[in-house]
Amino acid sequence: MPLSHFVRALVSATALLAGVPGVAASEPFDWRIPSWLPPPAVPPDNPMSEAKVELGRRLFYDRRLSRDGSMACADCHRQSRAFTDGRPVPVGITGERHARNAMSLANAGYLPVLTWGNPNLTRLEQQALLPLFGETPVEMGMAGREQELFAWLRADPVYPPLFERAFPERAGAIDLATLTRALAAFQRTLISARSPYDRYRYERDRGAISAAARRGERLFFGERLECFHCHGGLHFTDSLVHSRKPFAESAFHNTGLYNLDGKGAYPQQNPGLAEHTGRPEDMGRFRTPSLRNVALTAPYMHDGSVASLSAAIDHYAGGGRAAGQGRRSPLTSPFVRGFRLSPREKADLLAFLNSLTDRDFVAAERFANPWKEGPNAAAGRDPKVVRLKQ
Amino acid sequence: MTKKRSAEKISRAWIAAACAGIGATIGAQVAHAQAPQPVTIRFAAQIGDQAFTCGRSYEGIGSPASRIMPSDFRFYVSEVHLVDESGKAVPVRLEQDGRWQYRDVALLDFEDRSGPCLTGTAETRDVVTGTIPPGRYRGLRFTLGVPFALNHEDSTIAPSPLNLTSLFWSWQAGYKFVRIDLGSAGRPQTIKPGEPMPTFGDAEGSLKFGFAIHLGSTMCSSGGRIERPTECRNPNRATIDFPEFDTSKQVVVADLKALLEGVNVDVNQPKTPAGCMSSPNDGDCDPLMRNFGVSFGGKASEGQRFFRIR
Repeated sequence: MPLSHFVRALVSATALLAGVPGVAASEPFDWRIPSWLPPPAVPPDNPMSEAKVELGRRLFYDRRLSRDGSMACADCHRQSRAFTDGRPVPVGITGERHARNAMSLANAGYLPVLTWGNPNLTRLEQQALLPLFGETPVEMGMAGREQELFAWLRADPVYPPLFERAFPERAGAIDLATLTRALAAFQRTLISARSPYDRYRYERDRGAISAAARRGERLFFGERLECFHCHGGLHFTDSLVHSRKPFAESAFHNTGLYNLDGKGAYPQQNPGLAEHTGRPEDMGRFRTPSLRNVALTAPYMHDGSVASLSAAIDHYAGGGRAAGQGRRSPLTSPFVRGFRLSPREKADLLAFLNSLTDRDFVAAERFANPWKEGPNAAAGRDPKVVRLKQ
Repeated sequence: MTKKRSAEKISRAWIAAACAGIGATIGAQVAHAQAPQPVTIRFAAQIGDQAFTCGRSYEGIGSPASRIMPSDFRFYVSEVHLVDESGKAVPVRLEQDGRWQYRDVALLDFEDRSGPCLTGTAETRDVVTGTIPPGRYRGLRFTLGVPFALNHEDSTIAPSPLNLTSLFWSWQAGYKFVRIDLGSAGRPQTIKPGEPMPTFGDAEGSLKFGFAIHLGSTMCSSGGRIERPTECRNPNRATIDFPEFDTSKQVVVADLKALLEGVNVDVNQPKTPAGCMSSPNDGDCDPLMRNFGVSFGGKASEGQRFFRIR
């Protein structure tokens, strides 16, 4: 692709951002991450501590945070699936289906913008309000019930001492500020960077991935497939901020999944970035998700409409699903031009993508359900419901 | 009687804020000589000529006429002014009670969490209280909504009354300025605690929320950049202006029946939120949004219908 074309596309699709709050020096918190990896940025008003992370982990796996006691954060963000839920879209406690796929929480602390396409959600503390209290859709259904929530947390035998240790400066107050900060602190520790590919790439362990994966790597980072333009960088996404990167970058792209009206329209419930900017050119633009652990996070895309990794590759090979159906969207990213892959090349690419799976991450006890008995013991373990046929 | 002004543009909102600041300064100088006088502005929530009560049904609402059962009735007002005989708008300095009023925002709350009113609070509030320099006042002006400067602060640490989760509008990075929920004959509210939840895969789950009326600012992204919104494409704040208003004798009536004139509450446009949640592409918001006094879908309001004087 000509450089001018590349630059133009980058400028049109990428918002380069400065001055995002939260790029603060890390406290002496042990992130337990490889030395080559910069720690996440931590907002100055929510410093990390072991006590806060432990509290956040309890809360994350506590089904009593939902109106009917049936759903914890972990029920849509299951560790075994890199904190996704395996469904096209999650379903809230009232049976309402979310419009968008549950995103992986791996390395969420490195994202300057959260969720699929909302440029206003820039902090995990703020994002936590959505599943807890949101009503479009209802997820955990706690809107208007925060006082009951605080009341039982205060009366619980487990929580008050945890809040006291986590928030000594607030004398252990149990309120929206401490609840959301603890959840955010736990999520910032969900760092995945020990995949075979990490050992190969950053720790120079040549044998960590197969020859097929190495061939797949060359395809992935090549100009024929163009994957890396959006899925590049530390976490295979062009949205990134961390403690050694004062300038946050974030980008939203249209991958040509839909073209309902010949002008690139997406289904009404999922217009992407355009919902918030109102700009017609932002129709169908969604934030690039990380590809870390991608083999565990099916189904794919903002609406979970691509069932498998193989089908996702086919989508891009066809220049976007709409193009494959003979209706290429005029809003499709110029990087999604389509390509031809031989069966062996496709297998190589899949081998590379599979090398991004971090088995330590999905097995780590420190990220697992801390409730060993009672109704929370099943949180994040069993799917709440079986997968719905699409 | 009702003169409407839509504060559609943020620049206009800033001018209003600046004027309020100047007014406050003048007020302070006057107050130096004469102590400010207390002022109370009374509000009422009605459906036509009937008072709003949680759990009660009301007939003949909307077009075609339906029967509704409202289950929430709350709204924020701000930038409250009395207009003096020379036509000058003088800001009411709101009592800072730590509950219903913060800076220049006040919450009015007519639901008491009884019956179907499940998302609200047991406490209710039907007045705005504050002080104003002594003078002869004959008119009332206020904004329906939370001012821009407060609408996008961190809601996890916001003071009351900006810390009620049922009035959070986190997805839109602000607050619901108005929350009126209702079930109608065609769209009954069927979600109740303790009852079995709809089965998984119920794509129509949102139908169970009846017809919700949530007014707030939309498209608040600053051009796709990741920082606090600097503007909202659709501020959706209405300036309500009553040239004749006697605080000692009159009441500001928020009339749900008038708000729903021309609105079909028995249907919902497919694939849009239940009722009208201010989505620019939701046909259920027309003419409802314009009845609030804000433009919608490129069409200007013909004048707000929600408030009247009694």
